[in-house]
Amino acid sequence: MTLITVLITLLTLAAVTYLLSLVNSKLGAYFTIVTSLATIVMLFLIKDSIGQSYSLSFFTFKLTTVGWYFSMVMVTVYFTTAFLNPFWIKKMIYPAAYNLFFLVSLIGTIGMFFARDFITLFICWETVVWTSTFIIQMGKSRKSSYVYYVVSAIGSMVTLFAMMLVYQVSGTLEISTAFSALSGQPVLALIVFFTFILAGLSKIGIFPFHVWLPMAHGSAPHTFSPVLSGGLVKMGAFIAYLSVTAFAAYEVFANTFTIMGIPAPLYIIMVLGAISIVVGTVMAIRQDDAKKLLAYSSVANGGYILIGILLYDQIAFAGGMLHLISHALASATAFITIAIVAYRTGTTKMSELGGMIHRMPVTYTVYLIAIISMAGIPPMGGFVSKWLILQGLADRGLLFLAAAAFFGSIGSFMYVFRPLSAVFLGQLAPKYEKIKEANIMMQIPMYLLTIATLLVGVFPNVVLRVIADIQLEAGIQEIVLVGNTIVVSNGVLDALRVFIVFGYGFLIALVIFILRRKSRRVTLMDTYTSAEFIHTPELLHYSSNFYAPFERLTKKPYPVLNLYEKVSIKIKEIGHMAESLFSSSKPAITIFWIIIVFAIFFLGGVL
Amino acid sequence: MNNPVLLIVIPLLLAFLSVIIKKAGKWLLLVGLLFNTALAFFITTGETIIGGFAPPYGINLVVDQFTLVGVILINTLMLITIVVSFDLVGKYSIVLLTALAGINGMLLTGDLFNLFVFMEITVIAAYILSAQAKKYHHTITYLVIGSVGSVLYLLGIILLYNLTGSLNMADVAAKLPLLTTKELLVPVLLIFIGIGVEVKLMPVSGWVKGVYSNANRLIAPLFASVIAGTALFVFGKLFVSVLPVSDTLTLLMLIMSVMTFVFGEFAAFNQKRVKNILLYSSIGQAGLVTALFISGLVYAAVILLISNVISKLIMFTIAGAFTEKYETDDYESLNGVFVHNKFTGIAFTIAALSMAGIPLLIGFYAKLNILIGFFQAQNYVLPAIILLMAIVEGAYIIKLLLALWAPGKEGQVSEKSFAVEKKQLLSVKNTIICLIVALVIIAGGVLIDITEKVVTDGQPLLGDQSPSFTISQSKGGE
Repeated sequence: MTLITVLITLLTLAAVTYLLSLVNSKLGAYFTIVTSLATIVMLFLIKDSIGQSYSLSFFTFKLTTVGWYFSMVMVTVYFTTAFLNPFWIKKMIYPAAYNLFFLVSLIGTIGMFFARDFITLFICWETVVWTSTFIIQMGKSRKSSYVYYVVSAIGSMVTLFAMMLVYQVSGTLEISTAFSALSGQPVLALIVFFTFILAGLSKIGIFPFHVWLPMAHGSAPHTFSPVLSGGLVKMGAFIAYLSVTAFAAYEVFANTFTIMGIPAPLYIIMVLGAISIVVGTVMAIRQDDAKKLLAYSSVANGGYILIGILLYDQIAFAGGMLHLISHALASATAFITIAIVAYRTGTTKMSELGGMIHRMPVTYTVYLIAIISMAGIPPMGGFVSKWLILQGLADRGLLFLAAAAFFGSIGSFMYVFRPLSAVFLGQLAPKYEKIKEANIMMQIPMYLLTIATLLVGVFPNVVLRVIADIQLEAGIQEIVLVGNTIVVSNGVLDALRVFIVFGYGFLIALVIFILRRKSRRVTLMDTYTSAEFIHTPELLHYSSNFYAPFERLTKKPYPVLNLYEKVSIKIKEIGHMAESLFSSSKPAITIFWIIIVFAIFFLGGVL
Repeated sequence: MNNPVLLIVIPLLLAFLSVIIKKAGKWLLLVGLLFNTALAFFITTGETIIGGFAPPYGINLVVDQFTLVGVILINTLMLITIVVSFDLVGKYSIVLLTALAGINGMLLTGDLFNLFVFMEITVIAAYILSAQAKKYHHTITYLVIGSVGSVLYLLGIILLYNLTGSLNMADVAAKLPLLTTKELLVPVLLIFIGIGVEVKLMPVSGWVKGVYSNANRLIAPLFASVIAGTALFVFGKLFVSVLPVSDTLTLLMLIMSVMTFVFGEFAAFNQKRVKNILLYSSIGQAGLVTALFISGLVYAAVILLISNVISKLIMFTIAGAFTEKYETDDYESLNGVFVHNKFTGIAFTIAALSMAGIPLLIGFYAKLNILIGFFQAQNYVLPAIILLMAIVEGAYIIKLLLALWAPGKEGQVSEKSFAVEKKQLLSVKNTIICLIVALVIIAGGVLIDITEKVVTDGQPLLGDQSPSFTISQSKGGE
């Protein structure tokens, strides 16, 4: 089975799904599960032919380990999220189009990860952008869809410039060979580097391109937010990967000014990653909407992935690549659980929720495991990857970046704890007394993702072996793996042992929990107002103004979105000026301009 | 039988006939268009002498691959426009037939003065058509600015005649190297501004807003794709093969074109009405096409021109239907209009996305050619401007599409019930036509080798030297 067959099969399946959805949208939604499962199966079938190239019309592909790894991460997220589609599809304004775009965006990402030339890369990239733009609009905000498209377009257009520039210099569009022509031209290389990586930065949500994430993740249909956060932002990581491998930034900039042993251009991007970690963390803590909170946490985690990949060495690179999958799993899980809560309650605002643990214990547990991973607490996947990144940073003495990474790790405790306590713990509001646990169909993806998160956390070497292959393919030193142990220069990590230790701790806690005195349940309305009537019980809910002291600390106005708005207003102003000056409906003004043009031409001609 | 003269003569003859048989006017128009479109596919490249005097003294019609593409494209587009809006033709059949003759004349003629005559015929027909909206103020504006343009063009060719002693395009082109830039400055400039009025270059495009924004389903696409397309083809022919000027003049004309492009896109970004967005986008794109012609990227310019006029045909037709059915084309008051008209919406969306340069549509192929061409010429500034404008363009197009597809205020999940009241925008026949045209946009962008073969027929257009994107390029090392 070749890659072309896979892609064509998938496109056919997407078309079939669309036609089925026209007849019965729910059936089509079930078919998205089937199709994404088929994708996983087919990806395993083509794994043996890694290294081969394929072409179809102007598309060319090459099967690579890294592409395979990225595709697997992506399709896992799509597959698990697809289980939610049947329950939401009736609420979509265009159900058939939703199913189609859902699958086409998946196919686009796979095509992009295996792209061999710039045009294929760009076409697949843009396909994903516009299909996801049209999906996001089916949510509750058109503006977020618009912002998402514009930020993506900034990235992709600037990157197209880089691609064409490289093509002009090297005469080839093939990614692996095209960049080699830049080696002798530092200025050109600098331009290409910054323009090429921009698409990646905008997609992964690096500061100052992160504005789209909270908007789009927050207001996309609940079934698409997991895909956006767990999957699509990882496309940006792929561009970052290309910029250190195909572009070979370390070799190209070897003779330039270095900061802490890292070429300055790369260091600048890494600093942006570090800023994203800080900004994402701080902003996540401040959110009241659970989905927006998770979106900002994606910004922070994108920073980790970017720094890890750009460090491009034995340890941190492996950490970045591992964080890719552990964050994809954790964030998809978290978004899915919030989606299920929203499905049952109709809101994602934390101050309106609370006490869901009494009604949805499975969802609670799954969310708990996801956030443990997201915060980087052992024994989950997020711990191993963050540990590797921090090891790598510490190893190279990158103080500032390490400080940001530590800040992000600690801050993540604060933001992941907030939905936990505000949504799941605490008192249950009377109106939610009757709600039910997620049904079996919705529980399947939660179990799958939780098992995967645990697997990555307990047996990270399964994934790290693939990453070692990627490192081999990229030509850097492979991460040392002995049995179940990861060996780095500062020590070793045996994730299984960590798991066992934590398991003991968990058992002890469980025993205490069972033996302790039963607590008395207090309802939300059973508060301390001495029989006085409360007009707005929500304000007394303990999760409103959850981190008030912290929010006062970070109360500075938040300028970046304003920047985009300002640019937009400026463009409109110039447009208005041009309209009234050069496109006036008064003939006299036209004549005036003709005279001016003549005068300029004459002067120009004489000069 | 395949004499290009027939493309001009038959519509004129039919126009006279329809004066006599008024009732059959509509059908005569259809016959003329069908005849012209069919004939356009059969005419061959070559020269046709009219009146028995050999050029440069007599008038000739010159058909080369560039003209052929123009003739086929423009006649087909006009046929589609008329078929779609056949119900609105009414008493305009004589005018439309005259315009058809004028347009074909403009495209075919090999004589500068003859071009003026045909341009006047077309433009006068256009004045009459613009009066259809009964906004006479705008028609007068158009009349004044258009007349100024015509006079300037006429002055230009008089000066050129004075300098070269000829009005035949090929002859003038041959004698041009003998003249200095200073001598050429005034005539070229006059011709540039004169043509610029119809091409819609920025300082002389004041008439566009009034005329386009009030035009109906018939007139709007006629102006935006048929007449504007013709003007651009004529511009290309004049400034690539007849008056290929150099240095200072090129630079100044390029600046004006690029300014038109940038300001047009910015102005489009500022608009609230669908037709206004489209018309400023047309102005912007026209600026880009002229910039490409002046820079010598003929193939890229032609592809962009084709993609643009096809897109505009669909979009202006549907925009015309908006005003017809909802009496507004403010996109915010048309929130969710495509909920009830999905197929119309799909055609509109494909056309819009092609304009925004989304891959696998012909607009993207055009953009790719432009970029490759400019980079090959070591020009890095224009590609940067074009890509930045692509962001602006994408922004207003997506905003428009989102408003038309997804009803509901901010913070509400889109629902069918939020959409504007249900009305059928286009009849079934017209929707199918729009979808077929949209299919051409997709096919043109996917089957790029066929597109190239159809457009160039294996030979470079007007001696084009610029490179184009081909399938083999992406395969690189193989």
